[in-house]
Amino acid sequence: MSAIVLKTHGMTHVGKVREANEDAMIVDPRWGLYAVLDGMGGAMAGDVASNRARDVIHEYVRAKKKTLEPRALLEAAITAASSAVHGEAQARRDRQGMGTTLVMALFVDDNKAWVAHVGDSRAYLLRDGRLTQLTRDHTVVAELMAQGALSPAEAENHAYKNVLSRNLGAKAEARPDLLELELVAGDRLMLCSDGLYGYASTDATSGAVAWWARRQAFLGAARERGLARSPICAVLSPDEAIDIVAGNLAEAIFHDLEKSTGVNVWTYAENLAHGWFDQGGAWAPLAEMLDLLVGAAHAVVVAIAHEDQALALLVETAVQRAFTTAEMAVGGVLAERLRVTEGELIKAHTLVQTSVDESARFQETPTIPFMPAARPVADLASPEVRAHLQAVAQAARGVVGTGRVPARNVIDAIERAALDPVNATGSAIQARELYGVRALEESGVSPLFDALDQGRAAFVTALRRAGGDPQIAVAVMRRVASAQLALAAALAGLVVEGAAPISERLREATRETASLRAEVASNEARLADLERQYATRAAKPSMLPRLPRKPGGPS
Amino acid sequence: MSLADRVMVLRDEVLDTVERGDGDPPGTDVFDAIVRALAAHGETAPGLDLTLHDAIARRLAWGDTEEVLLADADQVVHRLARAVERALRDPLEEMVVLEVAAEVTTAVARIVALAAVGRAQRDRAARSREELAQKRLREALAEQRATLIRFDRG
Repeated sequence: MSAIVLKTHGMTHVGKVREANEDAMIVDPRWGLYAVLDGMGGAMAGDVASNRARDVIHEYVRAKKKTLEPRALLEAAITAASSAVHGEAQARRDRQGMGTTLVMALFVDDNKAWVAHVGDSRAYLLRDGRLTQLTRDHTVVAELMAQGALSPAEAENHAYKNVLSRNLGAKAEARPDLLELELVAGDRLMLCSDGLYGYASTDATSGAVAWWARRQAFLGAARERGLARSPICAVLSPDEAIDIVAGNLAEAIFHDLEKSTGVNVWTYAENLAHGWFDQGGAWAPLAEMLDLLVGAAHAVVVAIAHEDQALALLVETAVQRAFTTAEMAVGGVLAERLRVTEGELIKAHTLVQTSVDESARFQETPTIPFMPAARPVADLASPEVRAHLQAVAQAARGVVGTGRVPARNVIDAIERAALDPVNATGSAIQARELYGVRALEESGVSPLFDALDQGRAAFVTALRRAGGDPQIAVAVMRRVASAQLALAAALAGLVVEGAAPISERLREATRETASLRAEVASNEARLADLERQYATRAAKPSMLPRLPRKPGGPS
Repeated sequence: MSLADRVMVLRDEVLDTVERGDGDPPGTDVFDAIVRALAAHGETAPGLDLTLHDAIARRLAWGDTEEVLLADADQVVHRLARAVERALRDPLEEMVVLEVAAEVTTAVARIVALAAVGRAQRDRAARSREELAQKRLREALAEQRATLIRFDRG
């Protein structure tokens, strides 16, 4: 195939509402690197987040492109950027909550590109006159839809359809989705932020402006209600408490209303909750603070209602949505922390059980003929085992090649679950990602288990080829087998779960049929009764022919 | 003594027959499938294990839920992993057992999932029949109501 000639172009515009451009981009034909980043959150820190992430990614790719495989390069560059943005957000109070979305393309060959994305910035491919969206938005609603919890129609009308489930900077690590793309001559690849595909509506903009114009009223109401006395603001002066806690929220609501998203409030609430829980704070003060802020926002809505009822309704809806989003985000943080605690408990419990079983086994069952002297067992958590596991996973990806995407996904899932064996919910999440959206038929389910077999076989092949210390190898195999077992059971569980509503609907249908049958039988009986009565009325003696008298019968 | 024979010796420990009795404790089907697969390991390519398939279908037919079957398989494999870690001298043999156990586990999960799919398809078909019956019953009801109205008027 002849080499494809690339023509590239990039453009960004601040728009008519904002003062600072929160989008950033990379257009670097020399390194084949193109990216769009859409910053958000914090006190005017969206542009800081997107610019910081852009610089880190650009530097990383320039430094490592020649030495790393594209997938590893992209994952490492994105993680480095996320870590940098997160670190900067944690270091400065006025930047807490900042983050950015990212969509990037890396051209690695004359006709091959890798696309990576985090958040709701998108990549589109125009080929043969047909525009295809290559990326799936990392929004809460999109993830629910992928799991089958929402239909496309429900998702389209969902109040939180733009709330991001992943972004770059909210946490130190990021989970990008990657895609390898074969290009042909004439292809056009477009990377863009939501500013291009989902610009704000007039209503949203006027609502945003109305809210922003009354920002000071909101801060005043929060002050009156005693925000500065909250234990969460204990280390801040009263003015700082108002500016940082209430001011950032006011700004987050403004940005969300302006762009019809919930991401800014989500990030704000997550950071607030993380910061508070990290200090050992309890749930109650956080809930009280949110209630207090809801009250302050409601006071603003009442003030707007005196001037313009329609506008007040618009702002009230946005405010309610913002606080629901905040509660969801705080709930997510709590759930995450509970999972970690649960994992630690399981680990502690397993350690206790193992020690009890070991002693009991060796004391009580000494007569099994092939019982050996204790064989040194490689520590499951040792860095050598982890490193070997990662190397084997990489080799297993090589065994399945680039064509069999489901098998590669299985290898990724097994690797993740094997590296984090105490996280009981990890396998369920991996299984959900693998399951995606599929028909509940043999043709939909079998490929899933075929991929599981292929992934496991690739792991075993790679493990045998890798050689090395047998103790390390067997420790890796134990982890892989355990992870694979959990994954297979979780996948089967998902199928069973998916089949359950069908049985339930059958039971409902059976009940309804029985009810209809009963009604028909009852009507039948009533009709028979009526017919009998009718026949009795109609058959008056004068109207009936006289029956012939039997000879010799009674007169 | 082959590897399958040596693993067979661990049956009582893995199936916990002391606690559960040695008749047919839960997970027997999975353990037996692992032993069968070990006996054939390296000699023949693994295919469909109809015995395992039948055993699982029988347990489902007797009223065990899919969750119970999966939990039994999980327990057997974990107990087996711990038993072979203690009992086998050669790590490479332990790897073979773990590999075969993982293979059987996937087979169990696949059979359970396909059984659920089969049940869903049967339920869908049954629901279609129910809906057809409901349609006819509704037609009959409409006729009955019309007749009742005629009676009321007449």
